[in-house]
Amino acid sequence: MAKVVVDAMAMQRALTRITYEIIEHNKGIDGLVILGIKTRGIYLAQRIADRLKQLENATVPVGELDVTRYRDDIEHDAIENDPKVTVSKIDFPVTDKKVILVDDVLYTGRTIRAAMSAIMDLGRPKQINLAVLVDRGHRELPIRADFVGKNIPSSQHERIKVSVSEIDGHDSVEIIER
Amino acid sequence: MAQRFLILEDGSAYPGIGFGAGATTTGEVVFNTSMLGYQEIVTNQIYHNQIIVFSQPIIGSIGISHDSYESILPTAKGMVVRDVTDISKNRQRSLSLDQFLKQHNIPGISGIDTRHLIRQLQQTGTIKGSIVDVADDHAFDQLHATVLTNQQVAQVATPRPYPNPNQGYNVVVIDFGLKHGILRQLSKRDCNVTVLPWDATAQDVINLDPDGVLLSTGPGSPLDLPESVLDMIRTIEERIPLFAIGLGHELFALANGSEVKKLKLAHHGANHPIRTIITNEIIYATEGQEYVVDPDSVDRDRLITTYVDLVDGSIQGLRHRDYPAFSVQFFPDGAPGPNDSVDLFDEFMETMGTRE
Amino acid sequence: MDNAIQKILIIGGGPTEIGHETELDAACVQVIQAFKKQGIRPLLIDNNPFSSALESVQPTNMFIQAVTADNVQRIIEKEHPDAILPTVGGVLAISVIQELQENGVLADNNVQTLGIPGNAIMDINNPDRLNSVLKHVGVPIIASETVGTLDEAVNVAASIGYPVIVKPIAPRIDTNRILCESEAELISAVTRGFSWSRFKQCVIEQSIVGYKEVELVSVRDAMGTQVLIAGLENIDPIGIHSGDSMVVTPTLTLSNAEYQELRDTAFAINNQFNFTGVVHTHFALQTNPENFYVTKVTPYNDRGTSLAACATGYPIAYVAANLYLNQRLTEVRLPDIYHFKQTALLEPSLDHVVVRIPIWPFEDVPNADQHLGTVMKSVGSTIGIGRSTEEAILKAIRSSQFSPKDELPSMSDLSDSQIISQLIHPRSSRILVLLEALRRGYQVDELTELTKIDPFYFVILQHILDVRENVQSHPLDPLALKQGRYYGFGDGMIARMWQVDIDTVRSIGRGNNILPTYKGIEPSAGELLKSPTGYYSTFEFENESEQLSDHTVLVLGRGGNQLGPNASADYFTAEMLKQLHKSGYETVIMNTNPNAGSLTSMLTDKQIIDPVQLGDIMNVINMEHPVRIFVPGNRHFLTRELRRRKFPVSVLPPDQEGRSELLTDHATIGLDLFVTEHHVVPILASDLRSDEGIATTLAQITLMRAPASVNPQQLSQLLDHANEYLASHKRTGMVQLLYTTNGSQPPVFVGVRPTRLTTIAFLNKVTGINWVRMLVRQALGEIDEDLIAKLDIDIRSDRRSQMRGTFPFKQLQLPDQLGLTTQEVGARISFGTLDPEPDE
Repeated sequence: MAKVVVDAMAMQRALTRITYEIIEHNKGIDGLVILGIKTRGIYLAQRIADRLKQLENATVPVGELDVTRYRDDIEHDAIENDPKVTVSKIDFPVTDKKVILVDDVLYTGRTIRAAMSAIMDLGRPKQINLAVLVDRGHRELPIRADFVGKNIPSSQHERIKVSVSEIDGHDSVEIIER
Repeated sequence: MAQRFLILEDGSAYPGIGFGAGATTTGEVVFNTSMLGYQEIVTNQIYHNQIIVFSQPIIGSIGISHDSYESILPTAKGMVVRDVTDISKNRQRSLSLDQFLKQHNIPGISGIDTRHLIRQLQQTGTIKGSIVDVADDHAFDQLHATVLTNQQVAQVATPRPYPNPNQGYNVVVIDFGLKHGILRQLSKRDCNVTVLPWDATAQDVINLDPDGVLLSTGPGSPLDLPESVLDMIRTIEERIPLFAIGLGHELFALANGSEVKKLKLAHHGANHPIRTIITNEIIYATEGQEYVVDPDSVDRDRLITTYVDLVDGSIQGLRHRDYPAFSVQFFPDGAPGPNDSVDLFDEFMETMGTRE
Repeated sequence: MDNAIQKILIIGGGPTEIGHETELDAACVQVIQAFKKQGIRPLLIDNNPFSSALESVQPTNMFIQAVTADNVQRIIEKEHPDAILPTVGGVLAISVIQELQENGVLADNNVQTLGIPGNAIMDINNPDRLNSVLKHVGVPIIASETVGTLDEAVNVAASIGYPVIVKPIAPRIDTNRILCESEAELISAVTRGFSWSRFKQCVIEQSIVGYKEVELVSVRDAMGTQVLIAGLENIDPIGIHSGDSMVVTPTLTLSNAEYQELRDTAFAINNQFNFTGVVHTHFALQTNPENFYVTKVTPYNDRGTSLAACATGYPIAYVAANLYLNQRLTEVRLPDIYHFKQTALLEPSLDHVVVRIPIWPFEDVPNADQHLGTVMKSVGSTIGIGRSTEEAILKAIRSSQFSPKDELPSMSDLSDSQIISQLIHPRSSRILVLLEALRRGYQVDELTELTKIDPFYFVILQHILDVRENVQSHPLDPLALKQGRYYGFGDGMIARMWQVDIDTVRSIGRGNNILPTYKGIEPSAGELLKSPTGYYSTFEFENESEQLSDHTVLVLGRGGNQLGPNASADYFTAEMLKQLHKSGYETVIMNTNPNAGSLTSMLTDKQIIDPVQLGDIMNVINMEHPVRIFVPGNRHFLTRELRRRKFPVSVLPPDQEGRSELLTDHATIGLDLFVTEHHVVPILASDLRSDEGIATTLAQITLMRAPASVNPQQLSQLLDHANEYLASHKRTGMVQLLYTTNGSQPPVFVGVRPTRLTTIAFLNKVTGINWVRMLVRQALGEIDEDLIAKLDIDIRSDRRSQMRGTFPFKQLQLPDQLGLTTQEVGARISFGTLDPEPDE
């Protein structure tokens, strides 16, 4: 059973609000860079950057982060042999930048921890903020998001499925009973 | 019905047939190009002290309906139409537009070449006019002598606070002459609403500890309201999520250092494309404005322009850079008009949701 | 813009028929124009001889073939178009594209479908699939089930409960719904439905008869920007096909809340299907309790979109063409006459009312069942535009009645029981029956109950009767005239009421300053577009239309489509207008057919949508002072009256009735010629046949075939005779000499008649010479006799060509019968290998 909890319109709105909150929080977009976490975080990051461009008429760099190698819950041997694991694509320095880290769902916090490790390996940002489309609770690490599209309290028996039109053909967030 | 006249300040007189009340009235003559919703339009308090010319020629064809009031006691000064139908369709078959206008002492005049009048108003700009029985010198003298009040808000806004209880977010609505569409949208989202008079202070608002504050639509010029209103807005926007519509939007702009100017010709209609800047989407919404935010005056360090009318280039939305406070010139509640922007109310809910 | 698209194959609509007349071709012309402007090469397949669109593509891009999947496939494989356009060819084009999609031809040849994405093509024509998509969008849907056998049908209907509606799946014709009150009716409907369905399947659904029918027309670009162009309100309820219903725009009896809900729903559906271009969405509304259903989604040009375009002045087909190319609505640039540059983005706001009244063919097909139901029977329609509902209704009625003197027929002969019966079981000319019922004292509530028509319209009709009563009881009174004209009564009607001639009425008007004022038809309600090209008249304060020029030609249209030569007449008129422009004239067209190609704004300098009746024409003449007036040949009264008043009148399209000289009523060979002062140009000799073989009367001749079955010697004899005959019987223009043959005996001359309009269209296609333009030049005195002498026409050509009339019998649910010329609804042409007879 799948239940749509965020439809296309609501997802657009959430990204719009997050964009405004980023401007509010950072007093503008100076020194801002956006890193999307693979896979859907990248598209969300791009959409936020597009919105910032519309509003401020300035381009905010967007990078792609693949954190698989940094995760503490996957065997490293498995990663080495998995062709799907790619490297991150970040062609700008992060040192002294304000990094907005973007992911679709915030759950245990382990992805974010891995992402922070990955960023720290690249340089020393001035600050890191976290933007997520969905916060579903059940954190295993002391991590919280600065910008949240929607809080969806969920049980661990449920799965949260985020679809983005760029790869899924439509925008939605669904709760799926396992 | 008897012959009556619409006379204008520029000396012109339009003979027509009276309907509604037989009163002689004077007001600013504005036109509306919406194709539906004459009841919503005539009951909207933004038309306080105004005579409304309808471009849609067929008025009255669905009578008066219980769910189309934008205020209970309308205070428009007249309806000017090409053709009016006297029909009642409510359950009692008892309330036609004609009867409704009689009850509220609003005169109407039909048989007017409204297309001509609208083309004419574009030359003259917004102009004073009267609906009279005889278009003689005396009538014109009276028209010229009449000074319209600039206290419109005080005349139509609620003098006393009142609640509209529900289970959801605690929202304070500041009433500058609010249209019911706003309350309807808040009700639909379960908001626990308290409506405060237009001159409520920031302390009055804070005492109610709201999750959000909504500055309503209303008639007249934002420049005629006292500075204390702007002080209230400046205090509130720093602390509580704020959503402002229509006159509320103009006040929000003023409170944040922008200037507002009077349009040569008021604009009322729902057919202009409006660009949503952040997404580049085009939406349609009812616009009803006599004033507009001067784009050159907008302090870009404080405000972001969020919506622009693609026909006249007017600013249709603003947002504060530092606070969760945003405003739109148009009416996102429709009533009448498209629902394309109704999710601004959802945006307001979600904004309240993220600030605990 | 999508640069990958260079060549687009446009699927034409085929012969006109019940369900579509000239609107598809008119839209096609605009689409071609827009494509060309974008540097795109349009290819067109159609076999409609009356297609103006075929005239606007290069001969090498023109495929005169029946619109079938096989033919389209062959063109695709030969021409390799980048894309294919199914949105100007009606249901026929949709079903062809469906087939080509199913059999993989489109994918194999890498042809992109414009306007309607592939999966949507499959969904919109299948009620079952449409319902499942609508359900996904959250739209209320009607209980329904698909059936493939009679047994299933009977069971499903029993479980839903009668009355039920039967809809064929993927129909080949525009059938819509069939209402069944009983099992017997169901069996007959399902049997018919199976035969119309490409899959031999039908959907059985709960009946919503009596609901209010509302249609919305919108446009959408690939980015998802949408503009609502118009709401069309059917005055008649569901149960009468929308093509047979009186329709009004803008909607007059919907609340804002109802309307916005429909708008939101239409937009959501468009988004779900990802349509681009124009979409026509049909709804059924229940007023108590408030509830609505989506009944049909047609994402292509049709009579609804052409009405919306005509009513608003928004150039829908032209804009849609740009949207098919993935332009955004913000980028669409319209022709110069739309001087407000964001016109494509304006949601039209109207300050007038438009009423459309259908025209039924029952006079020409007397054995058809005249009851109106869920299967469309009308063949055309006319519109009236006014500043009041009364005015719009009256103008539409006046145009729909084809009364030479502009008088309305009386229904006073009907008995009371006939009235009741017709109120419950509506027939053609329904509006006149409604008026008669009111006149006899039926109450509004009663009539609403019987007819399910909104009471508002009865209030309006009652007002029309009141005005009529007042005008009638005040003969020669200027105030009465003013009131009558203000509410749409024609001068002819008023003259009849007062028992005077029309000049008396008009002189009272002039003497008392009761003069027509022309109002612009444009989408901004006077706010943004100041000098449109379309106008209608009313009697108000301000007149916006000025004399166009001192060299204006006024062309009178034929009005609403009827059976007989009408579709060809519109083609003829459109070609006339092109020639008049070429000859340096400014042109004004008067017409009332919203589907007419001749009414599109790009063909003329000014369009006037008013009844083509004497009083209204004189009003236009007084304004424009035309140097010449073209009157259609069927309007004898008008021609006479205008000539009597010394106006410079030419008769074109030519008179089809007069000037025939016949020895017998039987002919087998026709020889068409163009005759000028000094030359006789033989164009084509052809066999004349009925639909079933030898024609025993001229009225049965609905098929022409060339080359004629004559030997070379006989052909020479024909030509000699023609020259001889025309030398002694002076005529000019296009004539057809008629003969009979017997073996190799010399042909026997049986008479002469004006070349039929349908034939002229055929001759244009056969010879590649535009004979309409020749006739116009002749009327203008511009014929260059030297050029005529040099015309190179191979009268002995053995190229095979055929034109064959089509008839509406099937849609009228009549058994096959021999069609007459007066019953032709359209025609199809073929060249080279002749199309086999369609198996129907």
